[in-house]
Order: sequence, then structure tokens, then C-alpha cells
Amino acid sequence: MNEALLTTWNEMVKELRIRWSYKFSIVVEALMMVAIFLGITFFMGEGDLQSGRLAPALVGYIIWFYALIAIGKISWGLREETQTGTLEQMYMGSQPMGLLLIGRTLGTVVTTTIEVAAAFLPLALLLNIRLPWTWEVLPLGALTLAGLYGFGFIVGGATLIFKQVESLANLLQNLLLFLNGALLPVDRLPPPVEALALALPSTWGIIALRQAIFDGANLATLWQNGVLPNLLINTGLYFVGGLLIYQACEGYARRRGLLGQY
Amino acid sequence: MTTTTVDSISITHLSKSYRRRGAEPVVAVDDLNLAVPPGQVLGFLGANGAGKTTTIKMMCSLITPDHGHVQLNGWDVNRRRGPAMRQIGAVLEGTRNIYWRLSAWQNLIYYARLKGVSGKAVNQRARRLLSELELWERRSQPVGEFSRGMQQKVAIACALVADQPIVLLDEPTLGLDVQASRTVKQWIRHLSSVEGKTVVLTTHQLDMAQELCDRVAIMRRGRLIADQPTAALLELFRGDHYQIQLDAALDEPQLAALVSQLPGLHVLHSNGHITLSGPIADQDALVGVIGVLHAAGAPLLRVEKAEPTLEEVFVGLMQKEDKEDTV
Repeated sequence: MNEALLTTWNEMVKELRIRWSYKFSIVVEALMMVAIFLGITFFMGEGDLQSGRLAPALVGYIIWFYALIAIGKISWGLREETQTGTLEQMYMGSQPMGLLLIGRTLGTVVTTTIEVAAAFLPLALLLNIRLPWTWEVLPLGALTLAGLYGFGFIVGGATLIFKQVESLANLLQNLLLFLNGALLPVDRLPPPVEALALALPSTWGIIALRQAIFDGANLATLWQNGVLPNLLINTGLYFVGGLLIYQACEGYARRRGLLGQY
Repeated sequence: MTTTTVDSISITHLSKSYRRRGAEPVVAVDDLNLAVPPGQVLGFLGANGAGKTTTIKMMCSLITPDHGHVQLNGWDVNRRRGPAMRQIGAVLEGTRNIYWRLSAWQNLIYYARLKGVSGKAVNQRARRLLSELELWERRSQPVGEFSRGMQQKVAIACALVADQPIVLLDEPTLGLDVQASRTVKQWIRHLSSVEGKTVVLTTHQLDMAQELCDRVAIMRRGRLIADQPTAALLELFRGDHYQIQLDAALDEPQLAALVSQLPGLHVLHSNGHITLSGPIADQDALVGVIGVLHAAGAPLLRVEKAEPTLEEVFVGLMQKEDKEDTV
């Protein structure tokens, strides 16, 4: 196997194995996410769980769940590896750290997808939430996740330097829940807040996914109405920018001898 | 035709300072030059804060130097990081180094792939390493369930699994019991003598360094103050090193008062006797020491020239440097 592929695969397998070793926490985490979703939609529906309104909210909520994992796990994972010294060992690998990050990201995407499926499919069946399948979900979902993980890399870079960024990570996670359109469509926000919301990662992804799933929009339609170009630009900026910022933080950490310090 | 042997490790004019807000920068490593030929076990010694760890981390590409270069088997660590990192395996001090959530086998395979190697040869080597370190039977168990000694053995196996020619071991026996420590020492010997690997060993256990190292480099305040074959370094202090045996009739306060008059000598207790050991410059100084003992009423049993230990050489060198600094 090509060495770069081997490195990415290796990191992904490690991530899956470590995540699997936290099976019990994953089950609790998934149950908690379902409970929070039901709670929020119950209150927003003023005491009523309307299946028609639940479906678009669920799409947004699932994307936010990915965001939660992308931001939280990258930051928490790097901090834990700094403490245990395995981060330094990773940096002594023969391939660039970018490949390791991508492998780690793929591992997290796989485990989060399993978690989402295990938690929300039974819920969708139970509450009769209809999510019509369309192949557009795959490229649009991939683009949305790439942007989110780019954002996660920025928080990861900050973790290398400042170490204790849990509160920043929490703030960003909660900001996304309320501003990326997961619960409330962004066009209902006041104009300055809407502009901020549209600049966040995942907002355009949620808009695109909802249009594809519920309005039957294909990629050509999404391109013509400007949603897909905006999603591409947003994702490109966050993903490439995230990797570049991570790299810059890594260089700083190497110069200051911070990789092994906590 | 002539053949030139590339040094396993070549460090030239390596310097590193850490800037601090509102204060003078701290010089951690200052114009360090060091070359280690293949197959040698180098003891890299120094007090805490001497610059050893910074140097080791610059060798591992974990810290970027301000100036100078590190080459591993001819590959520059900062310019050709990938091939340079394939030359080296390391167990760094004070951390786990391995994943406690993974099994011993999973750790080994992960670290081999991290160095870009996989396949049958790696599986065989991982199996051999785990068998020789008596961990094969527990290879599938999470490392977090192992004892500290077993975890350290796994960390060492991970540093060796890709068959890297250079191994850095930073305090490899720290916190280990006697048995585990002995196994690790046997392994270090095996690595050099049987597998021909270059080993850099940093430790505060100077008896271990004396036992295992072909050569010793000592750092102080970021600079090398000694770099010699172990035997040659001991030889430097051999001429003026004495052991003076006393009857154990002295109580602790008397002994403390006595030792305070004899700087450079330290006390060893064994077999009901007290031994004062350390460097004494010449015959006049020796007569002076005996005079002090006589005046204190210390019952003298034996005076003999002795082999210095690496610990005594280390202490002697540090005291000499301290004196020079004071002057």
C-alpha cells in the first residue's frame, strides 16, 4: 500500500479502535443527544411533536451533532494525546501531520455516522419522521463535513498552543446549534446575525441538504440558485484555511517546544 | 578505494533558546556539537535543566532549533523529516508514549505503520519483540491493564518495531522495579551488541550508564562539558580517587561534623564500616585529610586508591565547573 494511504488508514483504524473502547460512553452520548433533540423540538413546538416539523429539524440537528464531534473530539483528542505523550510519538512518524489529521477525521466520521444511525433511525421510525433518500445527500453531506472539520482543525491548532480551550470549544459548539440553522432557519434571524450565520461552517450545508431532501432540488438546481457555490466557497475556505492554520500553530508549537507540554 | 562511514547521529552547532515575556531568553542548548558512530551506546547525562531533553526533542523533530543541524544517518531532521524519522525510535521520559486503550499488539502495528512499514516482516518482528519481552501471551489485552514495567516494555518494543537503526531512550527505567529494570538493561545491551543499533540513553541512574554506555557525554547549562569513552572518563579521575575506611564508632552528628571539614568526600556505609570516598588531589592533601580524621578521633581502618564511579566523575566535573563559574 502507498505510504500516504497506509498512514491515513492506520490513523483511521486507531481512531475507530479507541472510540470503540468507549462503547458505553457512546451509547450514553447517543441517548442524551436523542433526549436533547426531543426536548428542544417539544418546546419549540409548544408542547407538540409534529412529525412534519421534526424532519427538517432532525437534518439540522444531525449536522450539528457532527459539528459537536468534529470540534470536541479533535480538541479533546489532541489535548489527551499531549498529556499522554502519544502526540509527540505521532509527530515522529514519517508522514506529514496533515495526513494523520485526515485519517483521524475519517475515523471520527465513520464512528459518528454509526452513532447517528443507531440513535436517530429508531427515533425516526418511532415518531414517523420521513427523510426521503436522495443521492445528492452524499456530496452535499461530504462538503458540509469537510467544512466542519476544517473548523475543527482551527480549534485543534489552538489546542496545540493554548491547551485549555474546552470553554472555547463549548462556546463554538453551542453557537453553531443556534446560528447554523439547525433549529431555526437562518432567514428568520435579524440581518446582521443572518450574515454571521451564513459565514459559519455547516449553515450552507444545512440549507443545501434541506432543499435536496425536502424540495427535491438536484445539484444543478442548487448551483443555479447559488446555494452550491456558496457551500463550495465556505467549505473550501474552512477546510484549506483550517489545515493552514493548524500547520501554522504546529510550527509555532515546535518553535516554542509546546508539543509535549500540557 | 576508501569508504566513509556516516555517523548515525551528527549534531552541528545546535542552539535553542526559549523567549520569555518580559525576561531574558533562557538558553537551553548552546552551540552543541556531537557525533555518534553506528552501534555505539551513548550515555547523555546532565542535571535537570541542563538541556538534554531539548536536545533529544530536536533530534526527534519535536522542537525546531534556532541554529544548527541534526542529521540521522545523513538525513537532516528539519529538511528531510520523513526519511530522518524512519531512522529513529524513541521512548520519551515522563509520558506513556503508547495508547493504553489499545492492546500491545495493536500498539506495535500502529507504530510500525506510523514509520511507513507494514506487512509480514513487521508482524514477525512484533511477534519476536513481544515474545522476547515476555508479553506475547498478553498481546491482546489493553495496555492500560498492564503493570508499569510491562507498559514500559511495550513502549520500548514500539520504539523498535520498525527496526529503526537509532534508538533514543529517555529515562527508560524510571519507576520500574528491580526485575523490570534488569530486563530493560539487558535489552539495551542486546540492541547494541546483537542488533548493532545506535542507542542514546539519558538517565540519572549513573551506575546504569556506567554499566551500559560505551561513551558518555555530559551537558551543563546547554553546553557539553565532557564527551569521552566511559573508560577514558573514569581514567581522568582514577589517579586521585581514594577510599578511606573508618570503624563505625562515630555517631551521625560526629560524622556530619567530620564530613563538613572534608569537601568532595562522600560517605558510604557498608558491613558495619564507614567509608569516605572521593577525589584527593595529591599526597599532601591526603596527609591533610588523615590529619583531620586523627584530630577528630576517627578510628582509621584502611586507606586505598579506588576506581572512581561515573557518579563521582559526574559530581567532580560539576563541582569543577561550578568553581570555574564562581572564579
